[in-house]
Amino acid sequence: MQDVLERPAATTPAPPARSTLKRRRNPRARWELTARIAALSLFCLLLLFPFVWLVSQSLKDTNQYFAVPFEWIPSPFRWENFTDVIFKYEFLHYIGNSLWLAVYAVVVNILSSSFVAYGFSRFRFPGRNALFMVVLATMMLPGQVMTISLYRFYREIGWIDTFYPLLIPKLFGAAFEIFLFRQFFLSLPREVDEAARIDGCGTLRTWWHIILPQSKPVIIVVAVFTFLGSWRELFGPLIYLTGEENRTLPLGLLYFTSPFGSSLPMLMAAIVISLIPPVVLYALGQKYIDKGVAIAEIK
Amino acid sequence: MTMALNPQRPKRRWWRREGVQGYLYISPWLLGFLMFGVAPLIAAFMTSLSKANVFRTIRFVGADNYEKILTDDPVFATIAGNMLIYVIGSTVISIGLGLILALLLFKDFRGNHVFRTLIYVPSLLVGIATAYLFKQVFRGGEVGLANMFLSLFGTEPINWLGDSEKPWLALVALILVNVWFAGGTMLIFLAGLKGIPASYFEAARVDGAGPWQMFRKVTLPLLSPVIVFNTVMALIGHIQVFETPLAFANSGGVATGNPLGYENSLGTFVTYLYVKGFVYQDMGYASALAFIMFAATLVLTGLVLWLARRFTAYGDADQN
Repeated sequence: MQDVLERPAATTPAPPARSTLKRRRNPRARWELTARIAALSLFCLLLLFPFVWLVSQSLKDTNQYFAVPFEWIPSPFRWENFTDVIFKYEFLHYIGNSLWLAVYAVVVNILSSSFVAYGFSRFRFPGRNALFMVVLATMMLPGQVMTISLYRFYREIGWIDTFYPLLIPKLFGAAFEIFLFRQFFLSLPREVDEAARIDGCGTLRTWWHIILPQSKPVIIVVAVFTFLGSWRELFGPLIYLTGEENRTLPLGLLYFTSPFGSSLPMLMAAIVISLIPPVVLYALGQKYIDKGVAIAEIK
Repeated sequence: MTMALNPQRPKRRWWRREGVQGYLYISPWLLGFLMFGVAPLIAAFMTSLSKANVFRTIRFVGADNYEKILTDDPVFATIAGNMLIYVIGSTVISIGLGLILALLLFKDFRGNHVFRTLIYVPSLLVGIATAYLFKQVFRGGEVGLANMFLSLFGTEPINWLGDSEKPWLALVALILVNVWFAGGTMLIFLAGLKGIPASYFEAARVDGAGPWQMFRKVTLPLLSPVIVFNTVMALIGHIQVFETPLAFANSGGVATGNPLGYENSLGTFVTYLYVKGFVYQDMGYASALAFIMFAATLVLTGLVLWLARRFTAYGDADQN
């Protein structure tokens, strides 16, 4: 559940209008800025090194992989590593499994979480605040506590090695996503709902036709985080999916073995493949994700 | 009769009432919470008090599992030690580094956005893929990237993950991996910093505060709620670390050997729980482990909140 970590949430409101300070162009300030950029550049270099190394190693054969001194630019490039991983090592199949699970999770999670969040943000009912606190509290529960009993239950009803244990719970909304949606819905003007209600629009239609179309930023943020969460999930699939047929991409990586020799460069190629979708997804949703941290105001 | 005609009180069916509708909308979550939260939690607690034999007949044993784990399980003792070091080390990295990076990026300058993206993106990639990547980075001998880097300073290659004399090196590598994933906390700190009204910094500047005083007296106190939030989230995340230790402990591709690493030096709560529950199928023991892990989470969270209460002063700002 390391994913709790990377989910941005902020405790602060959007920045108030900053008073424009005239920055004095003195040598000290300039020196400070240079030091700042130098420190950040060094750190980013350190950060990027393993990833550049990874790409380099993924394009080699085993001899090149272990060559000392190290070659940053492989000669020759072995592009076959990628096609081999995808076609000979069954990764096409694993990617297919992971992809449809992730897309399902995105669609279902957006619908169910926004539905529940609508209830929490637009209706008054006894116990609402207490129940919302329970939603937040469930984020603290380690999922593994429940997994053990759920595993035994699924085994009784014959769901082991099927996708049901990963699909069904998504229908009921997820705590963090409900929280994100609720915060966003609270910021939407109620006047529009009111107008729709007076025009005879029911609450269900208000949710679908009024609230959701206004919620593009939060929908994108939830979509990206849900996709990433599903794409990298290991614990659940490891326990529930026992057969080779149902393996997801993380399981394919975990059980990576080489029937054809020279496995390490292939493993590196498989890692590159599995890291591409998250990076692309972030690039697409970046504008919204950066703003998304301001959506979650916990105060 | 008059009621029905009164325009102030339109007749409403019971399911049109606001409260009822509210419950209808949250009912999916409520149902899911009962089925996938409360019920398995209770079942897990019952399981943790029992022991199943090979014929799957379940016997109630009271607190035996807990007692054995806490007093008579040398593996668990090693793991508890690992976890203490790992959680403290990793949280210090996540919070310290995240805060430093946020402070560096707080000032606007050209290229700020590029740095922020480069630092943030790796934290989105955490998982078994990066775990295997860093396993190769911390490979022993001259081939590993970490050793290649250290050789620039004339250091002999370190056998990070398989040194029989210094098994703790593996734990150090496991902690160091978190340097690459500090971007998540960084982004939240950055949002927190942007929420501090600029007038506070200006007032401090006018009063002649230096950069250090500014940090100690303005930034840190006003940022403390964000620090507390980030620390709690980091603790919860680090206690549940799973993929990286599992990958580091794997010898070869398949899950062979001891998934807890050489002399259990890479054992964490979740890998041990996985081994006990799903490799040895001892569900009672695994459930008890899960509850002990949960209790450890609550204790550490409580400790952070208590410390925060003692050492931060939320109300001080308006005394100025």
